[in-house]
Amino acid sequence: MFTLNGQTKDVPPAWADEPLLYLLREKFGLKGAKFGCGVGQCGACTVIVDGEAVRSCILPASAVEGSDVRTIEGLAQGHGLHPVQEAWLAESVPQCGYCQAGQIMSAVALLDTIPNPTDADVDAAMDGNLCRCGTYGRIRKAIARASEAA
Amino acid sequence: MNRRAFLKAGAVGLVALVGTGIGVYSQVPVIPKRPNPDLETAAGWIAYRDGRYTLTIPRAEMGQNIATAMKQIACTELDVSWDMVDVVLHDTNRPGTKPTVGSESVQLFTEPLAQACAAMRDAVMAGRTTGEVEVIERPLSDLRVFKGGGVIGQSPKLAQGLDIVTGQPLYAADIDLPGMLYGRVLRAPASTEVRSRPASWNTDAARAVPGFLRIVEAPGPTIGQAQGLGIVAERPGVLDAIAAALAVEWDVAADHPRADIEAAIDVDRALAEGDLPHVVMDGAPEEGPWDIDLRFDIPAAAHAPIEPRAAVADWRDNKLQVWAGTQDAFYIRDFVADACGLSPDQVRVQSTRVGGGFGGKTICTVEAEAAALSMAVAAPVKVQWTRPQEFALAFHRPPSSHRIKARLTQGRVTDWNHAQVSSHIMFTAAVVPSWMQAGTDLFAGDGGVERGMGIPYRLGRAYAAYDAVRLPIHTGPWRGLGAGPNALATESAIDELARTAAADPLDFRLAHIDDPRLAAVLRAVGDLSGWATAPTSATNGNIRIGRGLACGVYKGVSYAATVAEVAVAPDGAARVTHLWCTHECGLVINPDQVKAQCEGNLLWSLGMVLSDDLPTQRGRVSAEYFSDAPIPRLSDTPEITVSLVESEAPPVGAGETAMVSGPGAIANAIRAATAQRVTRFPVTREVLTA
Repeated sequence: MFTLNGQTKDVPPAWADEPLLYLLREKFGLKGAKFGCGVGQCGACTVIVDGEAVRSCILPASAVEGSDVRTIEGLAQGHGLHPVQEAWLAESVPQCGYCQAGQIMSAVALLDTIPNPTDADVDAAMDGNLCRCGTYGRIRKAIARASEAA
Repeated sequence: MNRRAFLKAGAVGLVALVGTGIGVYSQVPVIPKRPNPDLETAAGWIAYRDGRYTLTIPRAEMGQNIATAMKQIACTELDVSWDMVDVVLHDTNRPGTKPTVGSESVQLFTEPLAQACAAMRDAVMAGRTTGEVEVIERPLSDLRVFKGGGVIGQSPKLAQGLDIVTGQPLYAADIDLPGMLYGRVLRAPASTEVRSRPASWNTDAARAVPGFLRIVEAPGPTIGQAQGLGIVAERPGVLDAIAAALAVEWDVAADHPRADIEAAIDVDRALAEGDLPHVVMDGAPEEGPWDIDLRFDIPAAAHAPIEPRAAVADWRDNKLQVWAGTQDAFYIRDFVADACGLSPDQVRVQSTRVGGGFGGKTICTVEAEAAALSMAVAAPVKVQWTRPQEFALAFHRPPSSHRIKARLTQGRVTDWNHAQVSSHIMFTAAVVPSWMQAGTDLFAGDGGVERGMGIPYRLGRAYAAYDAVRLPIHTGPWRGLGAGPNALATESAIDELARTAAADPLDFRLAHIDDPRLAAVLRAVGDLSGWATAPTSATNGNIRIGRGLACGVYKGVSYAATVAEVAVAPDGAARVTHLWCTHECGLVINPDQVKAQCEGNLLWSLGMVLSDDLPTQRGRVSAEYFSDAPIPRLSDTPEITVSLVESEAPPVGAGETAMVSGPGAIANAIRAATAQRVTRFPVTREVLTA
């Protein structure tokens, strides 16, 4: 049993050895986290487990037993977007968009831990999230915007 | 161009005319067809029903945010608010349009879309909700878009932006179908241009893996000359275990004759054997001593989209449906039909948002794999390439080597000779089968390789020629095609000539430029960056700082200039600290997204100089993960200042232009900081150690 975006879920036995990413995407239909590399190098699969940004492509589903899992689908509360989502739209960050769910989840985990991050904090938290379109400058601005809004 | 077309109306509204333009299909091979859009096809892009409009985007949406730009064009010409138009991506049940390549969408699609929307607006204003709407070409001056009206020149919220930040399904791998299975086609760890096939495998061991379903011995066409072995499973995560358990033994032919890639494209070796066959500039430089004589080597590079390509195929009732994140859905349809022995009207391809294309998702690979597996197991199958497959089986920017010699007389270039050897970009092994290559190699050059070799300066007696040789790795279009590598080489050479002439690099370029639009972006970047007043070389403690500059024209229609500032540490680590870029692409539909394309190009420029490389061994790509072929990270990203230069010219693309100026500016900044002319890319720390 674990908590997924506030709801209690079981890990089906057949899925226990699957990466958490595939449990989320293919069993629970949450398509936000993406497959990018399968070895935790690109960050496209990032979700938040017990407050920490983790790479769901290398975490076995069974490992979240008893944990609290947040995905991008669980960020918005009611009709309101999360401040990080708002900031991402305000800065028009996405190009292809494929990495952005992972970027946003890493940013949320960062701001939950350090509400006013320095540039070095942002580098440390975000350098494992790759973007090939080159949206990094806007990501940095969006994090600053969300930090100010909080 | 067909200048009359009809918007056909259905019983419940004004809907798109789906023309009869099902083309004549080429037999073998299937080559992408590239008709320009006309009013007849444009009529199918806009529909009106129950007070709302649906805009079907006839382009691949891969992050250039063309859906947003086309929606701006539609809203402006329809004269309706942003929320009145719903945007959907196209499928192949409509007349085919060009593949989404070459930064052509805004250039070629703005006018037809505007014409169709203008006709629709008039019909709706006249109170019509049914019947046929005749689209008659009207003068550009009668179109609101070309007058910069409506939301042209604004930056409204991105189409699909909300879906992206909330994690909604948009990409091919996000498709879910009832009973869907997961597949992969294994191929030999070998060059894709030597014959390979599965020889034996351990079926019993694969069967023992929970979730295993099938081995498919006919998993679709080869990729190059690599024949695969298909596997299908209940869950995606077991495919790795099944592949390991199978322990396939591969029959692999002998090494490719040009397995030594660097030797194969060695420009000096080629020149020693004679003239290069394809001439781009045919002046006759005089012999004698040269003022500069430089050799540049630029390696192969991957597109490295964060989305490994993916497809879902569903074979049922004698029809095949395919969801594909592709730059060319119609080519996918034709190729899959041909590969699966179907007629094109049995195949429907729905294009999805592409998780990064950059020229690399133009061919049919994973889609044919998914189709073959779905037909074999009679169930929907999802296939997404692994990261190692993306490196090994995709095509890449070809490596190139360049020899540039030039001579100055009284501070002006009077003689120029640029020789290049590279591999194919247009007539690639990924598209043209081996038996046909002999023919195309004989009569055709390669427009991709030569792009940018005819440089936009008055160079006196200027000669440029190239050859393209077949390599064991697949090569093809990569953001900017040849223009990026060519401009890196030529703008480095121009910079050296300016130094030799003891001239300011900006003034030196202006003195050789006839095109006022190029001169305008160059002057503008000088102003933007404070070029005239900032020192080109400086030190800050033991950090060496330099500024460099470059400019260029892309495909003869769009213009960019860049100033780079770099800081080089004593250990040779180079950081780009600031990039200033000016850009001119005619009438700008969406300035924010044109700037976004410039920002992307500048990050790619940074990668081209500092990191892009694709390791190979014995002619096969040996890179498997980003750790083997790094791409720029957030911490590598400099401050970026982009300024768009206003223009009365018609709108053109922006997706590749700054590739002609960014890399050269960075290389020239390194030269200014360190006195080292980088000639082998990516630059290594050893070269720049103090």
